[in-house]
Amino acid sequence: MPRSALDFLVGTLFFGLSLLLLSDFVRAADRRPPLRPSQTAAALPPVTESATQIASYDLDAKLDVTEHRLSGRETIRFVNHSTGPLTELWFHLYLNAFKNDKTLFLRSPFGAGRSGDKAHEYGYIDVKHMFWVEQNQRDLWPDRDRHSPDDPDDETDLRVPLPEPLAAGQMLTLELEFEDKLPEIVERMGYSGSFHFLGQWFPKLARLEPSGQFAHFAFHAQSEFYADFGDYDVALDVPEAYVVGASGSLVAERHEQGRKHLHYHVDNVHDFAWTAWDHFQIRRERIADTDVSVLFPPHQDRNAEAELDSVRFALPHFNALYGRYPYPTLTLVHPPESASNAGGMEYPTLITTGGPWFSTLGGGHFIDVVTTHELGHQWFYGLCASNEHNFPFLDEGLNSYAEAEALEARFGLGSVFDGYGLSVSSTALNRAISAARGGDEPVAEGAADFASFRNLGALVYSRTATIMTTLARVYGEPQLRHALGRYARQFRFAHPTPSDFSNVLKDELGQDAATVSSRALFERGTVDYLVRDISNAPETAAAGVFDGPNGRQQKKPEPVHSPNQYTSRVVVYRHGSLELPVDIELICEDGSRAFQHWDGHGFTHNVDHSGPSRVVAVRVDPEQRILLDDDFSNNAISIEGGSAPRALERTLYVAQTLLGGLGP
Amino acid sequence: MNHALTRRAPSTARVVAITLLWITRTLVSLLVAYPLVFAITSTGLVSDPDRDAVLFRPGALLLLELLRTAAPALIAALKTSCLLWVLSAIIALLPLAAALDLLRSQRMEALGVQLTRGFRLCPRFLALSAITLLAQSALVLAASLLAAALGAALRGHDERLVTLAPLLVFVLAALGCAGLGALLDVARAALIQHELAARSALLQALTILRESPRDVLFGCYPSVTGSAFFALCAAWFITRIDLSQPTTRAIALAFVVHQTAVIASIALRARWLDGALTLAARVPSSRD
Repeated sequence: MPRSALDFLVGTLFFGLSLLLLSDFVRAADRRPPLRPSQTAAALPPVTESATQIASYDLDAKLDVTEHRLSGRETIRFVNHSTGPLTELWFHLYLNAFKNDKTLFLRSPFGAGRSGDKAHEYGYIDVKHMFWVEQNQRDLWPDRDRHSPDDPDDETDLRVPLPEPLAAGQMLTLELEFEDKLPEIVERMGYSGSFHFLGQWFPKLARLEPSGQFAHFAFHAQSEFYADFGDYDVALDVPEAYVVGASGSLVAERHEQGRKHLHYHVDNVHDFAWTAWDHFQIRRERIADTDVSVLFPPHQDRNAEAELDSVRFALPHFNALYGRYPYPTLTLVHPPESASNAGGMEYPTLITTGGPWFSTLGGGHFIDVVTTHELGHQWFYGLCASNEHNFPFLDEGLNSYAEAEALEARFGLGSVFDGYGLSVSSTALNRAISAARGGDEPVAEGAADFASFRNLGALVYSRTATIMTTLARVYGEPQLRHALGRYARQFRFAHPTPSDFSNVLKDELGQDAATVSSRALFERGTVDYLVRDISNAPETAAAGVFDGPNGRQQKKPEPVHSPNQYTSRVVVYRHGSLELPVDIELICEDGSRAFQHWDGHGFTHNVDHSGPSRVVAVRVDPEQRILLDDDFSNNAISIEGGSAPRALERTLYVAQTLLGGLGP
Repeated sequence: MNHALTRRAPSTARVVAITLLWITRTLVSLLVAYPLVFAITSTGLVSDPDRDAVLFRPGALLLLELLRTAAPALIAALKTSCLLWVLSAIIALLPLAAALDLLRSQRMEALGVQLTRGFRLCPRFLALSAITLLAQSALVLAASLLAAALGAALRGHDERLVTLAPLLVFVLAALGCAGLGALLDVARAALIQHELAARSALLQALTILRESPRDVLFGCYPSVTGSAFFALCAAWFITRIDLSQPTTRAIALAFVVHQTAVIASIALRARWLDGALTLAARVPSSRD
């Protein structure tokens, strides 16, 4: 056989074997653990079955997919549930955030919104009239304020004075007509080609607090939403070829002259979002007594399956932990890559995911992370409905913990990535992000108050999750699970505040945990445990000059024990304001180990040890319970000093391989 | 029968060549690795009684902590390592020349003699490497431009096509680079075989490629795919070794696995270099 033919055969054999190995790697990384039943928290309060209906909406919308315009009619039934009369209403016209570059949302020179993208084509909403039905169809709209308070360039937060006060307990009915011009997709709103996503697309009442004040705010790029519960009855009119996904249940459908008329209904929610695209594929499955639909782009079946798999695990898991999901439907929307800004968002009974077609290849769990996160929002946003503008940590923060907990219950320590010999957990990732910006700003501040969205992301999402994980590891995981379970049930449909959350923590985990949580959330509380020195000395009898009844005696230092006993001292320090109890592990020369506990009070703690062997190494918090610790690199000390034989071996091999592959 | 057409290096010479290449590659790689390892060792994380086993624990809590707390030091060390890597790649030309000479002569001379000869040929080796690197860079640049243009042209089409088409361009460019690497090896072999100048060696390599393209391209094929295979095998074994345990046995095992892969790939390369010498021996040289 000629040499070239032999070389070709050998080379091809190696090539084939390499492909086999590579596919084994990829398959191993893709392998998913079987679904396991979730742990539940015992003796929790029952959930409230329905919300008090404050603001209910009937919407009728026709979508023009060529001009990217929407014509709408709206009927609002609003009850003044405060204790006093109302003389004004506040409306959010969120779509006006994309009207021009001077709006509060878009005027940042560094890009706007969570995605950092500016609008490429602008969008806005025009309200044509607002009739007060009970007041002889009087049009309230001409008397509205023309811009958001103190902001002449913004029209997302408008006051509408009432010509007659609305008494406490009285209902008002408003009829509106409006027209939307959709922007090219920005912040989960607009279009990309024939794909349309409509979130915050209609005039919406601000939430009326029990005090009688409306919780209104101009739409800030870092902020999300806050609204009252109600029933939504929505009629949608789209081209016949379009596939629609929407909040709630489809109750009727008819086709007429190339158009499709869809009627959706949903009770006990505070928002309604929908999407329409002529390329959507659909998968449907009944999971935990809920009709789940996944709308996804062509050729993304693997992503759709991964999303369903996430729901198969997380929906029963969250049901068990935070109370049963009360709606009959759940819709997942996976937008096309060209509209990725529509991804990763939550609305009542509808969530958006996202990611390129190859997201499930390799060991990354991106699809699972985003799906689990957005599903968790059905509780920590959808059902609890806290104020996302003023206290984003109550939704994004608690939900990030819920997401990490669920992912680790499912995937173990490889919850973010698991493959090729490396595993990365959500908890580790949250801790790394949190520690990087831990003391920058308080966690519990308004979304618009954060210096940047990166800070908001690190503090609201990652640091809140890290605070919760630390509380779980220090004060007990069952206790924290019970606390969150109680919070989610007790405040379902109740718009909880930070003090509601703190009170639950105090009841369930105790005063110390509540103090730590409060300092960490509200006061930029930080902590860093560190150990600096190890001192060892043989135990000897007291030496020196002693005057006694028998005169003066001089004693030389002599061991009191044979073999020697050693007295050792280690000093542990605590920096920062969070006083968390911590374990300290002492490792002796003979291999024996001793543990001591420090309640964390005070700034230093002397750890004294006596034994037949010297203390040669110390670890503070050996199980890494305190994930809020600012710096793990000062938590251990060893008399031998540090060394990195594994890193040396690995780095040497990488350098050798690179020299072989790319070198001479 | 022309002896040059059937020449094979005696197994002893090949073993010595492999050993020489492995030892020098290991030594220069230690030099490259040192700044990074020093940066890791200087963090407190490896002061743990379990030393750097903590960096290999599942979940990557302390690995991420290392990246977070030591990022500036690691980036500085990485830059130094990159510079040292370039220097090492140049230094490694000397043992390569010596190994080629050893394979050509088919007899053991004093290693010093062969290294001296290698040292003398090194500038010409360097010139050949520079020319090849230039050609490979041009190829990668052209591939990047083509991939970018392709990505833009395909926007709005099937997402898989948009992703895979530019990737395919890069794969083709990588194959082209591998082909240029094979040509470089043949030129080096011609240079050793006939004591040519760099330009003449390159021209001779091109002549050989024109006359026997299959011998050149398929000749290096087992070396390239075999090295990839052994690297993957090593990775497969390594994922089954628990380095998070504080025992030295796991480190020793990982070292053995990795070095076996390195030696195996060097052995395949030595086989290919021997083949390149055979190819270079076919064409009588025209000295300039």
